[in-house]
Amino acid sequence: MKVALFVTCLADHYFAEAAADAVRLLRHLGCEVTFPDAQTCCGQPAYNAGMSREAVRMADHTMEVFADCEAVVLPSGSCATMVKKFYPRLMEEADRAVQAAALADRTFELAEFIMRRLGVTRLGDGLAGRRVALHQGCHALRELRLETEPAVLLEGAGAEVVPWEAAEECCGFGGLFSVKMTDVSAALADRKLDSLPRVDWVVSGDGGCILQLDGRGRARGDGVEFVHLATALWRGVDGWAGEAMAERDSGGRHGRSNGQAGRRLE
Amino acid sequence: MSVRISEYATRSREAIRDRPEVRTAVTGATVAFDEKRRRAYGEVDADSWRRWAEGVKNHLLTHLDDYLAEAEAQLEANGADVHWARDADEARQIVLALAARHSARSVVKGKSMLTEEVELNPALERAGIEVYETDLGEYILQLLDEPPSHIVGPAIHKTLEQVQHLFADRLETDPGGDPDELARAARDVLRDAFINADMGITGGNFLVAETGTVALIENEGNIRLTTSLPRVHVALVGIEKLLPRMSDLAGFLQLTARAATGQPIGCFVSLVQGPASAPGDDGPEEVHVVLVDNGRTDVLLHEHAWEALRCVRCGACLNTCPVYRQTGGHAYGWVYSGPIGSVLDPGLLGLHEAMPLPFASSLCGACFDACPVRIPIPELLLSWREEAQQKGLTPWKERAALAGLATAATRPPLYRAAARIGTRLGATRAARKLPMLSDWSNDRDLPRPSPHTFRQLWRQGIK
Amino acid sequence: MSGSATRDRPESRGDLGGARARILARVTRATATRGKLPHPGRLETPPAPDPATPPAPTTTFVKRFTSQCGEVATPDPDRSPRDWLTSFINGLGDEVNAIAIGADVPARLQPHPPDMPPADAGTAGGESPGQSRHAPAVAGPRNSPQPLHHAVPPEHAGVGISLAWGAVAETGSLILPSTGTRAVQLLPPVHIIWVPAGRVFARLEDALLELRAELPAGVGLHSGPSKSADIGQTVVTGVHGPGRCIAVLES
Ligand code: SF4
Repeated sequence: MKVALFVTCLADHYFAEAAADAVRLLRHLGCEVTFPDAQTCCGQPAYNAGMSREAVRMADHTMEVFADCEAVVLPSGSCATMVKKFYPRLMEEADRAVQAAALADRTFELAEFIMRRLGVTRLGDGLAGRRVALHQGCHALRELRLETEPAVLLEGAGAEVVPWEAAEECCGFGGLFSVKMTDVSAALADRKLDSLPRVDWVVSGDGGCILQLDGRGRARGDGVEFVHLATALWRGVDGWAGEAMAERDSGGRHGRSNGQAGRRLE
Repeated sequence: MSVRISEYATRSREAIRDRPEVRTAVTGATVAFDEKRRRAYGEVDADSWRRWAEGVKNHLLTHLDDYLAEAEAQLEANGADVHWARDADEARQIVLALAARHSARSVVKGKSMLTEEVELNPALERAGIEVYETDLGEYILQLLDEPPSHIVGPAIHKTLEQVQHLFADRLETDPGGDPDELARAARDVLRDAFINADMGITGGNFLVAETGTVALIENEGNIRLTTSLPRVHVALVGIEKLLPRMSDLAGFLQLTARAATGQPIGCFVSLVQGPASAPGDDGPEEVHVVLVDNGRTDVLLHEHAWEALRCVRCGACLNTCPVYRQTGGHAYGWVYSGPIGSVLDPGLLGLHEAMPLPFASSLCGACFDACPVRIPIPELLLSWREEAQQKGLTPWKERAALAGLATAATRPPLYRAAARIGTRLGATRAARKLPMLSDWSNDRDLPRPSPHTFRQLWRQGIK
Repeated sequence: MSGSATRDRPESRGDLGGARARILARVTRATATRGKLPHPGRLETPPAPDPATPPAPTTTFVKRFTSQCGEVATPDPDRSPRDWLTSFINGLGDEVNAIAIGADVPARLQPHPPDMPPADAGTAGGESPGQSRHAPAVAGPRNSPQPLHHAVPPEHAGVGISLAWGAVAETGSLILPSTGTRAVQLLPPVHIIWVPAGRVFARLEDALLELRAELPAGVGLHSGPSKSADIGQTVVTGVHGPGRCIAVLES
């Protein structure tokens, strides 16, 4: 299958290596990956701020860029939701609901694509013995209803997904919210971090959530290690293949660098 | 209750930084409520119950004029008096006139957010009438002169120690008294108040048009007492609280209790049709129902916000809201707080008055999943945000930045250059001086960009 | 309910400056801009786990009522209700010193006055949790042919006795009409409620629809004792209403 990667702004700049892992993973699963070069921002920042005219302009651009793709995959639950759920709503008023619905049907978040479209649940056993906590972005959880998919894939690759009291709670990012309501936003992150069980990694399919939790965690000196879902899943296939995590860039992996990733932080 | 919504940013910061016990108490209580709600939803086919309830309220709200007339006619046939109040002032005048007519000196009250909304207590007190809030939580707050912070659990922001301290001081209880002892002390004071009250004042959870029934849900029994012992009962009911039929009430009583506290039904439900008429009925001689608008028709006329009028005030959206959990309700600055407050207050008060509440949300969507009448709170927040942007109620720099983003995003080369520069700059110390990033970096370390962008990796070839 | 025509009303009928007309006009304007949405019909509550043998409403009632801290007692079929109730109240303990009785409780469901102890007082305990040395002190006209209404004022009674109009299985509720005595239903710390045989409804909707035909001025649904968690999130019972709520199912 031919898959177009919609990398998203945050992954392009902050999680480049995780986005590359998504490409590796998709290729490993037999997909031919393309990267439409004219892609920019999905428009979510404007949409969330209530600037729908601006959001429509960005949606129009994105719809044009991905018009002819068989499938579009995003390493972000939030941006995938923008395309899948919010474009149809937004474009209804702009009279392009049909095109928006067509793109929505062909668009997937990474874990969603692997399980729901490709029907793959087992990637490998590269995560054997690894304890992870899973933070689901709110859009992935409540709009895309990916209530089980990421956990199933992680567990299928051998990871132990540890129960976390605040697992389904918002990290407090919310785009503009994190800068407009910075104290409340930080308190939300604290609630997540305070209730975090002892794990090797915190995994999330949303770069925004990782920036928020990792930024707050580092400010508090927590030493928690955050890993993007794309990287975690690729590790599930690939194991370590001799490459030490610490030698890679911070894209896909944030938090304390002890040079010994791959071992438990105990 | 005066409107202090514009101070949200400051008041939420103060709540988080200066009163950590509020956050602990509120998070503890709401997590427990939310857990019970989930369990209670799980016991029934909650999805279809919620769709049904949404449908009933939509039907009601699109036929509201007919049902209001029917409710009025039924109540009058039952012997109750119906009054109409356009705004808070009229609502207060009606109640004050009734109190004067009955020479009321002492009033017992059941918990009612509408009476908070119309600031009834201060008006009664100014008229020399003694007012007793009889819900235990409300009573605590009345002693402290604080407004409720939650529509179902008004005092959830208070710890046991705070109540021990308060009651030791005011009711001379043992400073280490357990909740049982403290409740008993309050009960003794309020028992006398019930027996001596000239008038009972309540709100109303529902008003059934078909039968003219004001339905009230509670757990303590104070509302049953308020509607039964005094000679006069006055119920203030928002015009959106109607239900078409008695059979609808059966569903709403159960769904509301499950959403609010995870119970199959409230411990006590009062169904008030009118004054006592049968021999042997020791109930009130007069029942007055005040139908209050106070901004509700504005909400009904609003293209989007009208859906918020389905609200049954169960508090489920507050309980599940991660933002509400950090600060409690007082930070929001008015009667209705949390997610429902953020979409209802702009409708009731006007958007300008309610800024910045539509922005006090990360749009996580948990509230919609909890809401028994499926109010699309995140969508309503967005539509209020849109209106705020159009009316210029947001900082111009924010609008300019987002307009700039849109312009760049439709010109890929410009976008790529701008994003690269922006990202790198954002990681430098200079960023701490930029308007938005400085806020971010007060509480968080700055994000660390990847050494190479994905585009660069892609061009180099990904192996 | 009648008599409204003769009541004296303020001239405005509570309609300050035409508030009624103005509110209704605005509501009509709003509803006119929107399509009229249909009523979705009845709410189907889920069927019992095994539709072939649904649990009897009484069984479900007992389960739901007790799970909300209500108590259920079943009278001894070999004794008269009066006798049984008298010893049951004796068994409640010393703090029960006076009884208030609802206006609609028939004599055969009332306890004996103190000078008419039950035939077997002091012997069989029946359902009674323990034995009391004292007969309940019921004040009022002795050997009255009339039912003993308000044997003592309810605010001074330790026990209130009421008659339910019916009960509801799905919510574990007792339906108490105001034709009884509201103060008896609410003020004494212990509330004993007779549920007539055959009056347990499976669903709340069924009960309310039947009640609709003979709706009294006030109705209370009581589903267990009074509760509050307003102090430190700890549940306490008997805050304003009764601390014990005992349903007696007549067979
Ligand atoms: S908006 Fe929904 S969840 Fe929130 S209080 Fe109203 S009915 Fe309950």
